[in-house]
Amino acid sequence: MSSQVTLPRLGQGMESGTIVRWLKSEGDQVEKGEPLYELDTEKVTQEVEADASGVLLKILAGEGEEIEVGKAIAVIGEEGEDVPDAEPEAKEEPAEADEEKEEEPKEAAPKSENGRPEEPDAPAAAPEPQADDGGRVKASPLARRIAREKGIDLRALRGTGPEGRIVAEDVERAEAAPAPAAVTAAAPAGEAEVIPLTGMRKTIARRMTEAWEAPAFQITMTADMGAAIRLREALVARMAEGDAKPTYSDILTKVCAVALMRHRAVNALFAGDEIHLQPTASVGIAVAVPNGLVVPVLRSCETKTIPQLAAERADVVQRTRENKLKQEDLEGGTFTISNLGMYGVERFVAVLNPPQAAILAVGAIEERAVVRDGELAARPVMEMTLSCDHRSVDGATASEFLRTVKQFLEEPGLAL
Amino acid sequence: MPELTYREAVRDAMSEAMRRDDDVFIMGEDIAEMGGSMGVTQGMLDEFGPDRVRNTPISEMAIVGAGIGAAVAGMRPIVEVMYQDFMTLAMEQLVQQAAKHRYMSGGQTKVPLTIRTQGGAGWSPGAQHAQQVEAWFVHVPGIKVVFPSTPEDVRGLLWTSIYDDNPVVFFEHRTLYNLKNEVPEAIEGMELGKARIHREGEDVTVVATGRLVHEALSAAKEAEEDGISVEVVDPRTLLPLDEESIIGSVKKTNRCVVAHEAVVRMGFGAEIAALVQHQAFDYLDAPVERVGAKFAPIPFAPVMEEYVIPHAGDVLAAVKRTVGKE
Repeated sequence: MSSQVTLPRLGQGMESGTIVRWLKSEGDQVEKGEPLYELDTEKVTQEVEADASGVLLKILAGEGEEIEVGKAIAVIGEEGEDVPDAEPEAKEEPAEADEEKEEEPKEAAPKSENGRPEEPDAPAAAPEPQADDGGRVKASPLARRIAREKGIDLRALRGTGPEGRIVAEDVERAEAAPAPAAVTAAAPAGEAEVIPLTGMRKTIARRMTEAWEAPAFQITMTADMGAAIRLREALVARMAEGDAKPTYSDILTKVCAVALMRHRAVNALFAGDEIHLQPTASVGIAVAVPNGLVVPVLRSCETKTIPQLAAERADVVQRTRENKLKQEDLEGGTFTISNLGMYGVERFVAVLNPPQAAILAVGAIEERAVVRDGELAARPVMEMTLSCDHRSVDGATASEFLRTVKQFLEEPGLAL
Repeated sequence: MPELTYREAVRDAMSEAMRRDDDVFIMGEDIAEMGGSMGVTQGMLDEFGPDRVRNTPISEMAIVGAGIGAAVAGMRPIVEVMYQDFMTLAMEQLVQQAAKHRYMSGGQTKVPLTIRTQGGAGWSPGAQHAQQVEAWFVHVPGIKVVFPSTPEDVRGLLWTSIYDDNPVVFFEHRTLYNLKNEVPEAIEGMELGKARIHREGEDVTVVATGRLVHEALSAAKEAEEDGISVEVVDPRTLLPLDEESIIGSVKKTNRCVVAHEAVVRMGFGAEIAALVQHQAFDYLDAPVERVGAKFAPIPFAPVMEEYVIPHAGDVLAAVKRTVGKE
């Protein structure tokens, strides 16, 4: 008796996914637990494992096709077995099913050979992350050499070789692809380039439009970063070999987390007719990737030291660049920090990351002339702009929170 | 150009050397009246007489030891060890004596001995007559190791081995004896340490020895249908080794498969893989793949023997792994 492979729901809010690549071909033997295909969900691309053993009799969903959760995408059975020609029925999962996010697409659970129903929750078993390679980009020596010679950043590439290895062809393709800036410059003649909205870009479009519906306001404060600079220097001086180097972002993550626990109204999620104050500060950090943006979440940051946060941040950023994030890395955030300081941005306004109540936009640390005790002085300062969902947070609450963040940065001891 | 079988080509090189040179003679088990258990020396007794075509007792240690003695005394003996599996019995003579005399005498003696031996699987000879043990000898400084795969090569390389002043272990493959090909009119010695590129390709280099050269060539043909261009390189001599040709080829194709009939583990392919990763590291686009026998005694039962030893399909699969088309 053959069994249908259906598209699992890999995270809350996931409604569809795009098959990037089948890792097995029709006729191949498949073992339960073996990676079967690569799935591009809203924000991550990950390998999904087969939930049954047998021969991959038929692939119903082609590469690049966007499939709704619960739809049949392949049939696994015994060699020579007829594939039931009934078209794979779309087992509609009501969109409202979000509430029962634990529920699996059980309607597709077929009977196995001996008539025993398959484990209903097998299809959505949490996918294993790719083999841990210590955060190193997996690339062939030749690909590395070409990238080194051409000045191409391997972290920005996606490997198409075995086990996702970046091979020479991937680097050469990246080199052949014109740089984004060149595209705009060379565009005037001919037709506009059409980029279909898929995967991550689609999610960004939907989520940001959603965010725009929220009545948002912004407040800005400037912090003197002298103490934070000394703190970072002290942390860097004490770090052991192989440790991730603490950054200002890590200090900011820690400081915001502690401030959030003191101003819990800001550490909130807006849920329609309720506001959910969160028990712990899980801070999302916005990370740019070649075709968009993702916000992996560092959990319970108030309980962690800055070196711990630095290590976690380094790991998650590395995995982001390698396209190895799991859906769960992106879930559970209570607050978000977006830092564009490294680009020399002085100040900007971030769009909310709903349902979170607030997001902090951070600019560059720069020397500015400031007046101190009636004297003009050159001080390293940093501007921070907090965007808030007015449905959850009011101006005074937001200001108190931001003032605490500023104080912690200027006098880190206060965060103890 | 005349056509010779691999067997005739071996005989041709020996006979021609014996006609030309009185110092050259052959000895081994059943090589005289019987003409050798594989028929390689048939007719040689009639041409050269019993003094130069000598039957020996069944003692590999004595055969190789007597050969070493004759070589040190100024002859150019060619001794035959009927199966390479039985080289085990001659190891002390070969490794401790033949390989070391020239070194330990400060160059005052030399050992111009050629030890011909044959074997390999594919014809159900059973676990004690089917092994491919060439890698053992490549590990010993002081001897040369040759393993030709075609009639032309076996003749040219045997000729050079006979006239080399060092002990040479010369491997012939049982299943190649009837392979027939054109050879040059006159025997031309071939330099030891020169690979032959049997087929040029762009995508993957297969370094193959012995029977696997032919398996690799048919795998290359199949791969071509899948759009994969395979280069097949036969080192022909394992020691000295033509590193330059192998590295040159891998630098061109960026991928490498090594294929031999011997078991994969600690096989000659391991040495090639190490060489390639070291000298062509920045040129590799995929891990070096190794093809060889499974780590088991070679079974007698034909179907099981087929299962244990490598074939063209195994080479093809390895080729595809290197290009990510598995």
